[in-house]
Amino acid sequence: MAKITIDNQEIECRDGIPVLQAALEAGWDVPHYCYHPGLSVVASCRLCLMEMQLPHPKTREMGWAPKLFPSCQTPVKDGMVVRFDSGAVEQNQKACMEYFLLNHPLDCPVCDQAGECHLQDYSYKFGESESRMHDQKQVNPKKDIGPQTLLYSDRCVMCTRCVRFAEEVSGTEELCIVNRGGRAEIDIFPGIPLDNPMQGNVVDVCPVGALLDKDFLFKKRVWFLESGDSVCPGCSTGCAIRVDQSDNRVQRLKPRYNPGVNEWWMCDEGRFGWKYVHDVERVTRPRLRRGAEMETPAWESLGEIVRYRFEQQVDRHGAAKVAVLLSPMMACEEAWLLAKFVRELAPDATIATGFVPMVGEERCFPVGCNADDAKFVIRREKCPNGRGVELVAEHFGGSTCDFDGFVTKAGEGAFEAVWVVGGYSEEWVPKALATSLAKIEMLVVQDMFESALTGEAELVLPACAWVERDGSFVNHAGLIQPFERAINVPDGARRDGQYLFGLAGFEGLYSGARVRALMAEEMDAFREIAEAPRQPAHQH
Amino acid sequence: MGSYEPVLLKNRGVEGSCTLKVHRAGGGYAGAEKALKLSSDEVIEEVKKANLRGRGGAGFPAGVKWSFLPKDREKTILCVNGDESEPPTFSNRVLMESDPHMLIEGIIIAAYATRSQVAYVYLRVEFHEQFHILQLAIDEAYAAGLLGKDVLGSGFDLDVYVHRGAGAYVCGEETGLIESLEGKRGWPRIKPPFPAVEGAFGLPTVVNNVETLANLPHIMTRGADWFQSIGAGSSTGPKLFCLSGPVNRPGCFEGAMDMTCEELIYGDDYGRGMVDDVGVKAVFPGGISMGVLTGDELGMKMDFDDPRNFGLLGLGTAAAVVVDVETDMRDVLLNVSRFYSHESCGQCTQCREGTSWMYRIASRIAMGAGRIEDLDLLEQVSGRMGMMPGYSICGLPDGAAFPIRGLVQKFRTEYEEHMGRQRDGRAEAVLRVLN
Ligand SMILES: Cc1cc2nc3c(=O)[nH]c(=O)nc-3n(C[C@H](O)[C@H](O)[C@H](O)COP(=O)(O)O)c2cc1C
Ligand code: SF4
Ligand code: SF4
Ligand code: FES
Repeated sequence: MAKITIDNQEIECRDGIPVLQAALEAGWDVPHYCYHPGLSVVASCRLCLMEMQLPHPKTREMGWAPKLFPSCQTPVKDGMVVRFDSGAVEQNQKACMEYFLLNHPLDCPVCDQAGECHLQDYSYKFGESESRMHDQKQVNPKKDIGPQTLLYSDRCVMCTRCVRFAEEVSGTEELCIVNRGGRAEIDIFPGIPLDNPMQGNVVDVCPVGALLDKDFLFKKRVWFLESGDSVCPGCSTGCAIRVDQSDNRVQRLKPRYNPGVNEWWMCDEGRFGWKYVHDVERVTRPRLRRGAEMETPAWESLGEIVRYRFEQQVDRHGAAKVAVLLSPMMACEEAWLLAKFVRELAPDATIATGFVPMVGEERCFPVGCNADDAKFVIRREKCPNGRGVELVAEHFGGSTCDFDGFVTKAGEGAFEAVWVVGGYSEEWVPKALATSLAKIEMLVVQDMFESALTGEAELVLPACAWVERDGSFVNHAGLIQPFERAINVPDGARRDGQYLFGLAGFEGLYSGARVRALMAEEMDAFREIAEAPRQPAHQH
Repeated sequence: MGSYEPVLLKNRGVEGSCTLKVHRAGGGYAGAEKALKLSSDEVIEEVKKANLRGRGGAGFPAGVKWSFLPKDREKTILCVNGDESEPPTFSNRVLMESDPHMLIEGIIIAAYATRSQVAYVYLRVEFHEQFHILQLAIDEAYAAGLLGKDVLGSGFDLDVYVHRGAGAYVCGEETGLIESLEGKRGWPRIKPPFPAVEGAFGLPTVVNNVETLANLPHIMTRGADWFQSIGAGSSTGPKLFCLSGPVNRPGCFEGAMDMTCEELIYGDDYGRGMVDDVGVKAVFPGGISMGVLTGDELGMKMDFDDPRNFGLLGLGTAAAVVVDVETDMRDVLLNVSRFYSHESCGQCTQCREGTSWMYRIASRIAMGAGRIEDLDLLEQVSGRMGMMPGYSICGLPDGAAFPIRGLVQKFRTEYEEHMGRQRDGRAEAVLRVLN
């Protein structure tokens, strides 16, 4: 740790980090464009300049040096004295803001970035309201640079963050700078579009409205968005994300800083992988077989019915004939509640962990690097909580098995009463499983979409999408990460956690934190959970 | 001044001056031979003693620069700066055309002193003929055992490569040069790390100007004291001066740094006065980047220190361009500002936007549509750019600010007079059309 003085205030910070980073973390709002903690330092926007005390070349006495220094490029050293609240610093900020706007089209009313634009914010805070540039503006073109992304280069401030991202993080190097001086522009190489599995991040790192996500383009003004802090369910990396929604519809996903996990990034698969949430085909209501008929029971009566029917099965066939299949799409808390419910009814019941989709290979970035040097990994395990449901199964012990074991046993007729949880966005039921479970006496299916199993089920329960739930996922490395609910469940549905909470014998409202506290009493692993750190307001 | 005996240009005009034979006949490679017999530290000491200040523009002492190299380094790279892109400057060109072996000899000495086994000569792309001259001389030197393995039987190995630029002024800036040499976009680097620690290809690197290196053979043969005896104060040794504009004898001259700008223009050995005795309105005495003198300031000494007394940045490349009284200073402003706006690499905000904004203002002033406040604006914008106040990564915008601010400050009355003669409302009308 180092102690440094900024604007007469002493702060403590990690040694060697840029002064800018230290200032931002300590609550200063220092304007900056080219600096991004996840990218190399280029110190070219010259907006973050500060004054610094240095020893006088002759007298060695400390005093303010007669020039400005880029705070992003100057590492913190114990005892250093800097300031941002001086006339020279403010003059420079004003001048820069005027420069950034010289050629800017000022088309905020039609710009997606409006409301979360650092050109708007900084101009308001650090700039002047009048431009003294009355000559012709340089008008740079709008370009379609890839299947997902547009570049309005007339709004660009040439911070080169996007170029550095493509060089240093994705390693795909599609972006470049063409031309020189005031005519310089960001561009792609002719005929090679920006199209890589991480490209969406360039839109995030762009501090202005130059890089735009076609998926979100013109969809919503950002001030109508409300956010929930979540974790991406796309793979076992478990990127911390923010779900931006309005009117209970997801509008976009953004990565949240999460050191050691996803840092500042997320992949496109996760970023755009939420569309199924609003699929009209989703199962939204419980459905119960009574004789030959299917009916929609009231949520209130469901607990009793389920319990009664399971008890009947145990009486008839013995507890060992009961099984539950915990899906790796479930939150740990939900899995725990369900396992608890089943084991209390049938102590010899089998607890199986569900289907783990594996696709291709681990993809490491920057491309071409090996797993140890990777800045980001998209994992082949396409579910968020394989580790979590394993933990729960292990905790309950007794008869447990994995998905393949479950399919085999089911095929051998080992079960008569089974609760199957799905929750995948895609078709997942193997034929063999559908055939063997069609023959058993009681099948409960908790899933998001109809499948070969739902048709055979005595009870179908809606599984909600992760943005409608809250709980925690355990990522590939064993990190337990909580996620918040961002939107409400569809009409007619109820949060999985809520009905499982009731079934497991608890009263009142389910919340992930509440269940985790209960789990922590039995499971050491749940005493500590990893929350992504809060970011300073102007860290982008 | 007639007593000055040329050293750097002694072979200019001599038949076959580019050949090894002629160079050797005049005592060539004796300096290299001598250096190779000393230790590299002894060579550095001698160069420090001579106080050979860089001829590339900044005037930094070469020996001191070399001693910044880390002691425990394994490899070192020598870059020879032959990008020569500063307007009215062509002394490196003349030197390479008339005596390429003098440069090669200088490269051997500098490489030996800095323990570099590779030297890259970075040539501006427009030097087509000079490239061939230099390459022929290098080939000849290789054949004669002056380059390659075991230079002159000393056990020292040295390879020299000529790398041709792609036409950017900023690639003359030492870290822009290094980036460009590495095959990247010529964007100057942030420092630290300084090239002496981490330069080309991540190795300790020294960048020196062509003329700086051409002085080395003479320092080795004649000694530091001889070098110190030419000129005065901290501005010693042979120096090349360029002169252009409406003078009777434009060209590249060699002399000591104790002459005034006036002598350079009017001296018999140099410019021999103005064409038709027309008056001098302004001079950019050190390449345009150093700033401008008025016709009344010609008493400035062409040395490393005096220019500061006239509000100039330094001696620069010692290439003077003279502007006569007939010239419209609006056109001068336009020309100067166009250059920097064209050449700014575009990294730093103040330089990228500032240079192009100043150019737009200058264009409008030249169109006869200037406003008095444009002059204030030019002063302000030029006052907020440059490396020295910390606003930018490299020195290009300092070089833009000094001449532009100098023009506006020193010739303000002329600009105001022009504006006074403009039709009422013309500036506003033009601005309306532009927008
Ligand atoms: C914009 C800019 C352009 C420059 N162009 C040249 C050049 O063309 N040739 C040169 O020798 N030095 C040039 N320099 C100076 C170099 O950065 C460097 O100081 C010089 O090559 C060092 O050599 P010296 O110490 O031998 O003078 C330039 C500097 C700047 C800022
Ligand atoms: S497009 Fe955005 S991220 Fe890229 S250089 Fe321009 S402003 Fe920066
Ligand atoms: S000061 Fe100008 S030329 Fe130098 S690096 Fe910055 S933008 Fe490029
Ligand atoms: S943020 Fe420091 S120079 Fe850009």
